[in-house]
Amino acid sequence: MGDLYRLTASQITSGVRNRDFSAEEYICEILDRIEKVEPKVNAFVTVNKEQALNQARILDRWIRDGGNVGPLAGVAVSIKDNICTKGIRTTCGSNMLREYVPPYDATVVTKLQNSGAIIVGKTNLDEFAMGSTTEFSAYGPTRNPWDISRVPGGSSGGSAASVAAQECAVSLGSDTGGSVRCPASFCSIVGIKPTYGLVSRYGLVSYANSLEQISPMGRTVSDAALVLDLISGPDEKDHTTTATPAIRTTGGDIGTGADADKRGLRVGLIKELTAGADAEVSRIVYGAFDLLSSHDCSCTEVSLNAVDYALASYYTIATAEASSNLARYDNLRYGFDMDPEGYEWNTYFAKARSNFGPEAKRRIIVGSYVLSSGYYGKYYLKAQKVRALLKQELKSLYKDYDVLIAPTMPILPFKIGERVEDPLKMYLADVDTVIANLAGIPAMSVPAGFSAGFGVGVQIMADEFKEQTMLQAAQIVESGAGVNRSPDL
Amino acid sequence: MGWLSRLELSDQELDRYTAQIEEIIRYLDKLDSIPLEDIEPIYITKKFTDLRKDKAELFSSNPLGTKYRKNGFVKGPRMA
Repeated sequence: MGDLYRLTASQITSGVRNRDFSAEEYICEILDRIEKVEPKVNAFVTVNKEQALNQARILDRWIRDGGNVGPLAGVAVSIKDNICTKGIRTTCGSNMLREYVPPYDATVVTKLQNSGAIIVGKTNLDEFAMGSTTEFSAYGPTRNPWDISRVPGGSSGGSAASVAAQECAVSLGSDTGGSVRCPASFCSIVGIKPTYGLVSRYGLVSYANSLEQISPMGRTVSDAALVLDLISGPDEKDHTTTATPAIRTTGGDIGTGADADKRGLRVGLIKELTAGADAEVSRIVYGAFDLLSSHDCSCTEVSLNAVDYALASYYTIATAEASSNLARYDNLRYGFDMDPEGYEWNTYFAKARSNFGPEAKRRIIVGSYVLSSGYYGKYYLKAQKVRALLKQELKSLYKDYDVLIAPTMPILPFKIGERVEDPLKMYLADVDTVIANLAGIPAMSVPAGFSAGFGVGVQIMADEFKEQTMLQAAQIVESGAGVNRSPDL
Repeated sequence: MGWLSRLELSDQELDRYTAQIEEIIRYLDKLDSIPLEDIEPIYITKKFTDLRKDKAELFSSNPLGTKYRKNGFVKGPRMA
């Protein structure tokens, strides 16, 4: 064989089920691939070699004995290292959790395992998911598989790179302000941020819990949609999940599923975001716009006025929630070896927390400031009102449009180290993605073209719980754009 | 601000972060330039009876990584 690692999730499951090849053969190839490319890419914090091989062997025996297998049987999956995996170290890219081994699995991990998927490792991320380049990890930066001198995007850079470099078939990341869509665009793969509440966050280490969602990533729309189907649904352990029935997003051609609307989609292209992007990015986004137009969709340019304030609102709310969520890292219940003997509480707490990286520290400080007495009304309350305004504006647009499109990132991937000392410049790159997190709507990035050797993703956003409509549009772009390559590694 | 956040910052860090954080806060001041008097924030409410039962779950393995213990308790720094 020798190239099983190139297969999509559905091809792997079908191959394993029909015994064209064994799960063990496939996982061995995946692990060899990881060993080969990791020195260049650094996508993984922990590789789960022994357990993955054992699980593959157990699956093969089960199939030989005539057992039924799940829809992801044998598929190699990587998990972002801020999602808890029982018995597998989970660091959140931080020194604060360097030796932390969770005693439980996140709900999404249990669901993936029940469907037969095999976890091959935990992927690198910006510390506690705070960042857009995966340069803020305590475990070294991840590199873009298309050009290893450049960033893969973040904070789920390890997940995106592992999929793009064919070190696994699919991955789970988390998206708080674009952390899955950004690296999906920079690494030229598909990333889907679901509607807030569609997927359980139980087991996701919190950064900004009113904004984040666990999000699937894959090399095709169909693979990512398959994973989304399997991980979504209400969970008693996460009361922000909703009781709406699980959305069926798969079943062959998404566009002709039983519930799919047969008329052409009404597509709105967000003017402000497209105008604000680099010329090459705009060109490719307009290309996707034209593609949709030629497929019976009615396409118009639209205005979203709240765009101007969305980024300020996001960074106020996200840093505020981060300062609260990261207060639990007191180094007593989990952390690193530092004897509390002789210390006074506040001093110990402050000293232990000096082990956070620079970006985590900056966000904690900004977050404490915007919540502090005298400033709460000026920043946090206003940010929440802007959020409400944005949501109102979007609801109104979705009366006339099925999907809204925009660039995923306003720029192409830049060199590693280029923006690391300029946090505000880094934040400004999130302008296209934060909208969907603030409003809680589903949004995804799908590769729409190439420029100077880099993929450019187009972002597609739909109304709450309209993932199926969003995926319909995505499939049109995917088949029309015909982006079908992998980096040479 | 370092103290409010309970973060011990070195002199180098203070030098580096002060200007960066000031720039970020100035950007957040943008929120002052949009009229918001008639807007209410979104609230999502849940009935207390809809929350799951407060039932303790015992983990078979030892979930706490710290070795600093005494008489079945985790040892911590003294309160001021």
